[in-house]
Amino acid sequence: MSKKVLVVDDSKTALMMEREILEKRTSYQCVTAADGQEAVEKAAQEHPDLVLMDVVMPRMNGFEACKKMRQQASTREIPIVLVTTRSEESYMEAGFQSGCNDYITKPVNGAELVALLQSYLGE
Amino acid sequence: MNGNRKSVKGTKSSGAEPTNDARLRAARKRLAESKDQDDAIEGLREIVANFLGSEEMGLFRIDRRTSTFQAFWSFGIDLEEYDLLRALGDAGLQRVMRGECHVEFGTRERSGPTSKAQAFVPISVADQTIAILAILRLLPQKAAFDRSDMELFKLLSDEAATPLFGPAGHAKAGTEGPGMSA
Repeated sequence: MSKKVLVVDDSKTALMMEREILEKRTSYQCVTAADGQEAVEKAAQEHPDLVLMDVVMPRMNGFEACKKMRQQASTREIPIVLVTTRSEESYMEAGFQSGCNDYITKPVNGAELVALLQSYLGE
Repeated sequence: MNGNRKSVKGTKSSGAEPTNDARLRAARKRLAESKDQDDAIEGLREIVANFLGSEEMGLFRIDRRTSTFQAFWSFGIDLEEYDLLRALGDAGLQRVMRGECHVEFGTRERSGPTSKAQAFVPISVADQTIAILAILRLLPQKAAFDRSDMELFKLLSDEAATPLFGPAGHAKAGTEGPGMSA
């Protein structure tokens, strides 16, 4: 069975590109959410193998969503990779404090993204 | 669960082609699926921020009757303070009006404090430049514009006019679409 990745971004453009990369270059199944609140709900419903999530989003940002997922038993163990335009050290620290496993910055390099996901999920 | 273990910053040249294909397809689709002018502008902002690595940009319409530029929209810059003609210079202006992108690639090291990279992209209809997209300071993790960015500039130049200024956008804005008049 193929591994499932939950991709979370309020930008339709970013979602389109990340879905393109995953569908064209991996065998992973891709599900999406448009903000942190929806991500927390979908993570509990869909049981993804990994969450790839933007930080700056309406309703609930990526840090808060990450903390929520870490508090829920059903999502506590899911690897979470935060993806954002913010490269400041304080943002990265906040990301890791929220419980993320990795933190990458936009613009995303497709090959690096695939390699990172494969390091968690295998090919 | 894997522990917090690393961060991956910026881009490398390896894997640039697949990334570029994906972002070109995504950008084309995003522009084509724009519901109206506001959505097209949001799509443009997302493309520049997510794919080109800048959160400072401005869009200028060209009034060919008066040979003037009109500030149309901006993100991250104050259009009152920004002098497009000064930034472009005479040579840059001529290039853009001919439908060519004018790009200063920048040489800054990653995470350096300032960047001289900037790009001016003609937004064209039937080989006529009707607007200029100015893309200014790059995000700290993006060192400079690169060759693959040129393909995205070209796509914006060729395909952004209709969603931005075509019939759907102009129905909302209440203005005449470029290339629509006799």
